[in-house]
Amino acid sequence: MIISSAKPFEEILELLKEEDDIFILGCNACAAKLHVGGELEVIRMQQRLEEAGKRVVGWVVPGAACSVASFDALVEKNPAIKEAKAILVMACGSGVSTVSRVAEVPVYPSNNTNSLGGRSQGEVIPELCAMCGNCTVYYFGGICPRGQCPKQLINGPCGGSKDGKCEVDQDKDCVWELIYLRLERIGRLDLLERIWDPNGIPD
Amino acid sequence: MPRTFKEKLLSDDFLVTAEITPPKGTDLNEALEDAEILRGLADAFNVTDNQRAVMRMSPLAVSKALLDKGHEVIMQLTCRDRNRLALQSDVLAAYSLGVRNISVMSGDHTTKGDHPRARPVFDIDSVQLLGAIRKMKEGFDLSGNEIGGMPDLTVGAVSNTDLSKPMQLLKLRKKIKMGAEFIQTQAVYDTGQFQTFMEHIVDMDIPVIAGVIPLKSAKMARFMNGNIPGINVPPEMIELMENAEDPAWEGLSICAQTIRELKGLCRGVHVMPIGSHSRTPELLEMAGIRKDN
Repeated sequence: MIISSAKPFEEILELLKEEDDIFILGCNACAAKLHVGGELEVIRMQQRLEEAGKRVVGWVVPGAACSVASFDALVEKNPAIKEAKAILVMACGSGVSTVSRVAEVPVYPSNNTNSLGGRSQGEVIPELCAMCGNCTVYYFGGICPRGQCPKQLINGPCGGSKDGKCEVDQDKDCVWELIYLRLERIGRLDLLERIWDPNGIPD
Repeated sequence: MPRTFKEKLLSDDFLVTAEITPPKGTDLNEALEDAEILRGLADAFNVTDNQRAVMRMSPLAVSKALLDKGHEVIMQLTCRDRNRLALQSDVLAAYSLGVRNISVMSGDHTTKGDHPRARPVFDIDSVQLLGAIRKMKEGFDLSGNEIGGMPDLTVGAVSNTDLSKPMQLLKLRKKIKMGAEFIQTQAVYDTGQFQTFMEHIVDMDIPVIAGVIPLKSAKMARFMNGNIPGINVPPEMIELMENAEDPAWEGLSICAQTIRELKGLCRGVHVMPIGSHSRTPELLEMAGIRKDN
């Protein structure tokens, strides 16, 4: 899932400073699961905008904001959108961009988009994948170093980790430590001996 | 004729390399004076590349200035600031200007330096850069285009000596496979630990030049233990520093003793002083190192 987080409401208000007659478009995929673009959050956004003196002409939470056929298709389901002078999209940057392509009014994001991650047992896990277009995660015990290492190193760790923690963030485990432990657990440490060329191809 | 660093690497000499930091600005005098202090004492000068991700003059320019003064240099090259085009481009530039030794490393992340918002590159890593340079030595760039070659380029890499990190050793092995001809290490204080490291990599058969940093105070030792990965100053050394009347001299004395112990363990030492090399000749003399080249 795409990991996004809500911008501070003050920032959203600042973005919408010159706008009124706003239509809110949520996203029932990732943003809803992360509680930053589902129905509850959209209704809450409507209330807060109205409390701030804005007119909200309507809202919708489509299956996915990143999969919108056309403006007509949007209007068909939500005639109120025709009255809108601006659209606030409560989704990731892909959702905002997709809606922007079809909308005839300015489109604003309510969220910041952080990474491609996941959610497991309630925990949100960011940066699981770097979307490099050449998936090799199997060789790293299912832990992608391109996604999780700040230096995107695929031949092993840098010299900067200390006590198993990342050079960049002491609260974060060095991903190479995790990869090692994982491959050790499944008895595949031999996978680590591969040398990866500059195109991400194993020897 | 003085022998080259490469020839010395292949000999049985105990080597001394020393770190030169490029200026934060355009004035080369300080760097050149620092090197001058060690003329005849150091076999080559490592010129650092935006060390600790702090922006400084390009090591290429400083290397050229040192070469012009008759010094031998090991130009450092990090993967942090350049993509594969720029890295190869700088290797060509360095070679054409007379640089014959290059040491490659990942580089500290930009967030650790003085331009924390800079976008880090890391297009290729140190293992891949070693492979790229090996290919360039044979006359081809990374895409297989002919470039004429640079047969007498000697390439080194860096390594941690902490055996508790198996991945570090694995990466060292990869570096050697991809053409590293010598290794320089992070500062060594615990020579016992270092000896175990050397025993562990004996099959790798590569010259290892052990890093040393003279301590200046107990506080500095504690700071390094807490903040610099791969450095382990033993508690008794910190205590010696704590009780010293002249901590800077005590630090030199400890460092000289370390160098004496390292003489039997590896192929040389790499002196990384904090600040200038003003006391490095004294350090080397205390350690019983004299060069007559």
